[in-house]
Amino acid sequence: MRKTIRAVAMAVALATTAAACSSSSSATSTASGGAGVVEGGVLRLGSSSSIDSLNPFKAFEQDAYNVFQYIYPYLVQWDENLQLVGEWAGDWTWNADDTEVTFDLTTGGTWSDGEPVTADDAAYTLNLILKYPGPTGLMAGYAKHITAAEAVDEGTLKLTYEAPVNEAWALSELQQIPMLPEHIWSAQEGEDGKGLRQFTNDAPIVSGGPFVLNEYTKDEFVQFTRNDGFYGPKPHIDGWGLKFFTNEDAMVSALENDELDAVESIPAAALEKLQANPNMVVSETPGIYFDDFITNSNKPLHEELLDPKVREAFEYAIDRQSMVDTIMLGHGNIASTIVSEATGDWHNPDVQPLPFDIDKANQILDDAGYARGSDGTRMANGHPMEYEILTPTDVTGVDREFEIIQSGFEQIGVKVSQKALDSSTLFDVMAGPEYSYPNSYDKFDLALWDWYPLPDPDFILSVVTCEQWGFWSDTGYCNKQYDANYEKQGLITDQDQRKQLVWDMQAQIAEDRPYIAMINRNVLEAHSAKWDGFVMSPIGSFTAYSKLTLEQVHQVA
Amino acid sequence: MRGADYIIKRTAFALITVFVAITLNFVLFRALPGDTIANLSKVPGATPQLRAELTEEFGLDQSKWQQYWIYLGQLAHLNLGVSFSSTEPVTSEVGRAVVNTVPMVLLGTVFSVVFGTITGVLAAWKRRTLLDHGSVSLALIFYSLPTHWLGLMLLLLTAGILPRGGRTDEFLFNPTFTEHMIDIGKHMLLPSLTLGLVLYGQYTLVTRSAMLETLGEDFILTARAKGMRDRTIVRRHAFRNAMLPIITLVALSFGYIVAGSILIETVFSWPGVGLLVSRSVQRRDWPVLQGAFLVLTISVVFFNYVADLLYFKLDPRITT
Repeated sequence: MRKTIRAVAMAVALATTAAACSSSSSATSTASGGAGVVEGGVLRLGSSSSIDSLNPFKAFEQDAYNVFQYIYPYLVQWDENLQLVGEWAGDWTWNADDTEVTFDLTTGGTWSDGEPVTADDAAYTLNLILKYPGPTGLMAGYAKHITAAEAVDEGTLKLTYEAPVNEAWALSELQQIPMLPEHIWSAQEGEDGKGLRQFTNDAPIVSGGPFVLNEYTKDEFVQFTRNDGFYGPKPHIDGWGLKFFTNEDAMVSALENDELDAVESIPAAALEKLQANPNMVVSETPGIYFDDFITNSNKPLHEELLDPKVREAFEYAIDRQSMVDTIMLGHGNIASTIVSEATGDWHNPDVQPLPFDIDKANQILDDAGYARGSDGTRMANGHPMEYEILTPTDVTGVDREFEIIQSGFEQIGVKVSQKALDSSTLFDVMAGPEYSYPNSYDKFDLALWDWYPLPDPDFILSVVTCEQWGFWSDTGYCNKQYDANYEKQGLITDQDQRKQLVWDMQAQIAEDRPYIAMINRNVLEAHSAKWDGFVMSPIGSFTAYSKLTLEQVHQVA
Repeated sequence: MRGADYIIKRTAFALITVFVAITLNFVLFRALPGDTIANLSKVPGATPQLRAELTEEFGLDQSKWQQYWIYLGQLAHLNLGVSFSSTEPVTSEVGRAVVNTVPMVLLGTVFSVVFGTITGVLAAWKRRTLLDHGSVSLALIFYSLPTHWLGLMLLLLTAGILPRGGRTDEFLFNPTFTEHMIDIGKHMLLPSLTLGLVLYGQYTLVTRSAMLETLGEDFILTARAKGMRDRTIVRRHAFRNAMLPIITLVALSFGYIVAGSILIETVFSWPGVGLLVSRSVQRRDWPVLQGAFLVLTISVVFFNYVADLLYFKLDPRITT
């Protein structure tokens, strides 16, 4: 009873501040959500992430990017099948040589301060990034190869590229860029764009997306109201709130106790209990996230780790199924390549993970001449095969992963010990203080880490390029042929040819093994049965890549 | 005047301590492994030239000495700088965290002081009885419990009764003043109780020990011989004389209030100084760390100073 009063009261309060009110929670329709869609209401969402800044040119934390998705226009978005579809752009056409793309933008939208949302805002944002690549450095990589952005008219945006580009690649890069209101940000540029990163972009934020960010209390809460000037489909809800938790168990408990309506993700350990609760709906789908085993591919402390046979034997000695069963309680699958199966066609199905086979691993090492010493530990280059595995302290389950690996390696005569470091220190140790090739990646042997790739394979393929040394590379891998393929895949216009290149690159990495992709973790979410319309996908429902869930979520009759 | 020298010396010592802490703050965080620029530039769309931009923006392209002088100059103007990760002034980041932290930790500390002192007095007064053994055992048990475990247990036990986390119910819209106060109280109860339970044991033991020592003094025997009631002896004579070490402990505890408690804040999602420091360490956000530790240093030094002065005032045996 009490919660209902609160929700209605908040809905009414929010409705009075919105540009045009809808009623609170009494109207029912059988619109897009299916039977019994109740219009109105406020969704209470829990998150275990955080927001560090509301400035897209400064933000680092994941929830900041999720929030930008809901308050700013984006040209395109990912749908539930990981296909790029129009968001602000209704349609687009490429010229004959794939160097220009013209977007037809949905007109009639307004920013929350009443100014019209037009192609001028999109052109301004992209040209801003091109003009000031330093201050806009967090976004600049997504505008790679773009030379100009032009607002042909208020509903038409034309982008020019320096060379023919692959459509899927180009759109996936553009999907990452929020289109900002020119009338707000042009006043913030300062000298040489230096003012862009100093602008705190405080709430209430002038928003052009389906919601307006009204209130923000750092590390506690963000409140959104529906933007009735939005050019896209009108959300069913009047608004929503995002509450931050630093304890996932408490957050799940809050969901069960009706303090929340949905949470961004749940730990595997909570799944069974929530599934047994008739008031809860649990969703699960294979994800694109993966855990990886890293072998220093530049100058490991022990050079035998550069031997392909040693790496192959290591892969045979990693019990991936045990990791899935123990860490994810079965809610995951064995990974094979760094481009997960959940990405669909981008995943190379011909690359198969090696099975857990201790006998095979031993045979490979025996044949390669790594004889066992008197204590059973193999010898290599005059020393025992004993290595330290570096692990980050902020990856769930990494300690158990290490134990499983240690157990398997022991059976093949290789001893490993664990050194846990926080992420910042870990990268410092791996990359080394001198970040430029070839003077780094010489202070470690092995490591465990994880990746949250983007839906398009470009990013995860880039992290093993030479250019990413000291930046995203945590392997020290550098292969000029691979780099050439990487550059090519973004520029090749034929989709099938790009796919083949992406497959070839996966095969290359799987063969060279700077990474051994170990497990993919499923996306696990839960919400109250009083709500429906959550669009589940391998990238989750609440994401920086799509507005669909918050446009469609609704209370059920 | 008695004690002018003593006061001057303690004041000078406090100021020197704060200055040394300021310098140590600057040096220690920069000695941490891990790179701020590498951290804050690792977003998928980021370009390598972002590094140069950030290095210049944060003033890290200057020498360490130049950075130190700038830091001192800013402090002289009560400017704690700007957060590397949020661009917010450190004073507002730390100030907000302190405002969130102090009520919660103060409530827990007051609980631990009061409850610990009462149980310590009772344990000493009824020494070698079941009350004594029980009080001490319970105090030791709670004192040795892992803080985060106790917090999680209390959360589980109160499911459906008390809130699961945060400072307030943000979905309680336009509450009356009373509703708002009740809401805050409900959210604060568990974290404060957790803190109080894990801390009260030290007060129990210190109070018991001080009381036992005092109760063994000759003047207590004299009071008994004069026919004074036990309760009056404990309250009027023994406790007042046993207070001195308790006052010192209380002052030290108050000094640490602004430090928050990272474990409690994490379990209860309480946005306090502990969480701020933890996140800033991970991000290598030096200005925020420097600011938070400066506030903590000043608080500890101040309350130590107050304890010294109180001690001097209360105990005539102390000379300069």
